[in-house]
Amino acid sequence: MMPRLGGTLRLATAALALAAIWLGVLPAVGRWPPVARHVRRMEEGGVNPAAMVYSELDRLPLRPRWAAEELALWRVARDGVENR
Amino acid sequence: MSATVSAVSPPPGRRGWHEDSAAILVGAALVGLALAVGWAFRPTADAGSRERYPKGWPSALSSTINKPQTWNASPAEALADRKGKPVGAAILLGLGWVVAVSAAGAVLRGHAVARVIPGAAVLGLLGALAYLLAAQKVIHYYNLEYPLWALVVGLVIGNTVGVPSWLAPALQGEYLIKTGLVLFGAEVLFSRLLELGLPGLLTSWVVTPIVLVATYLFGVHALRIPSRSLCMVISADMSVCGVSAAIATGAACRAKKEELSLAIGLSLAFTAVMMVAMPPFIRLAGIDPIVGGAWLGGTIDATGAVAAAGEILGRDLGDKRPAEVATTVKMIQNSMIGLIAFAVAVYWSGWVERGTAPMARSLAAEAWLRFPKFILGFLGTSILCSALFTTSPETALLVDGAIAGFTGPLRGWLFCVGFVCMGLQTVFRELAPVLVSGRPLLLYVLGQGLNLALSLAMATLTFGWLFRQGAGP
Repeated sequence: MMPRLGGTLRLATAALALAAIWLGVLPAVGRWPPVARHVRRMEEGGVNPAAMVYSELDRLPLRPRWAAEELALWRVARDGVENR
Repeated sequence: MSATVSAVSPPPGRRGWHEDSAAILVGAALVGLALAVGWAFRPTADAGSRERYPKGWPSALSSTINKPQTWNASPAEALADRKGKPVGAAILLGLGWVVAVSAAGAVLRGHAVARVIPGAAVLGLLGALAYLLAAQKVIHYYNLEYPLWALVVGLVIGNTVGVPSWLAPALQGEYLIKTGLVLFGAEVLFSRLLELGLPGLLTSWVVTPIVLVATYLFGVHALRIPSRSLCMVISADMSVCGVSAAIATGAACRAKKEELSLAIGLSLAFTAVMMVAMPPFIRLAGIDPIVGGAWLGGTIDATGAVAAAGEILGRDLGDKRPAEVATTVKMIQNSMIGLIAFAVAVYWSGWVERGTAPMARSLAAEAWLRFPKFILGFLGTSILCSALFTTSPETALLVDGAIAGFTGPLRGWLFCVGFVCMGLQTVFRELAPVLVSGRPLLLYVLGQGLNLALSLAMATLTFGWLFRQGAGP
């Protein structure tokens, strides 16, 4: 019984620590001006920094219009020939 | 594998499918379902208009799956989206999809479904808890992604009270992750490779494989890290695209749970630092904004962190181009995952594992026997959706809608619950020797240093010189 009780106590301690961090510490950190500014910037820009792949981004990066003007996307270097 | 949990085998006399076959069938069925429902409920007006449907056709299945939303002070905020729409029911339904996928896996693999369902529901709740931890705004906006918290939730429970016997039959972490990878294949569209033409291809396709191979070989031969799979997973997550690449290559080279956990932890820690530190460095060093954007995209591991760093740099410079180049370069890297996972699987089954197993058949037969077959499902859904994506504007919107509305969120749930399972089956003391040696950390740092140097050189060469209009020789 004792090891099981010890495990339950350790789990309860860990749960309390997680609750204290997520409900107390992190909201306080979020109020710190540099962090609050970063969060605000991301929200205003519609950025999802937690995206694991591009399909989770709020805005898909689809061939920006300026790129065709500023970058020779398929140019063969030096001979000036463009393939598209 | 944990000493407290035994592998769950079919009862004697019942023969089930292999885990990989079950993952392919279930994953392919779910992709097929998403596409069929999307086509059945396709819009009647402007069906081919990207302007009207920027993220694809709305999926009728999207109301059946969601996850906890970002919150600041109270977790109750997580039950409504940014527009104030309640998402609690969709979260519960998402959990239901996880139970359904687990049950389907149990049926196909010959396990007792009744023993799997209660545990799968509890694992789904633990996955929801991990999502809730990841959705806290500070955590979310500094890119500490849900796999980390799923591992933490599993590790805390597994290393305190252990895994109760009734939960053990539901621990199908590898099957869930492999099914998630088959769904993930639908998101890896080959046509995305061409979004930035040759400069994008060169920055991603030349630098990434060089860094991947060089880091792996350095870890194996110079640092003499005993586990080749650990070297591979660290090299892939650092050089390709973070957690998603670690998951795919980890499954391809059969990395241990502890190794995948360590690689993901390293990647997320460095990603958070690089996301904040690189934009001011680029600005202070006076690097060209487009070159800087390409450099961010080629080096920061996680896709979301690349978008965030691009946004920071763009805001500081009053220029939107760095963010667009950064995310596009990263998207091209994302599109390489399938091929890299396939190459790793071929190398592992044909060369690495050949050295440890007695040869009873021909080399090709041995390699095929060991080849992780789920990779074929991953490539299959990728090829199918890539072909559909390029067929017509309508089918492109069908694919995007199916991904955004259903397969993407479900893939996230399957990965999340898969990582909870991994955490539950990981023992702290097995991680300790790897952590104490410090060599994996050194491998990551040195590999990332090479990645930073080569990516900057290639971005300068391609985006700054060779392919810059009017700036070329």
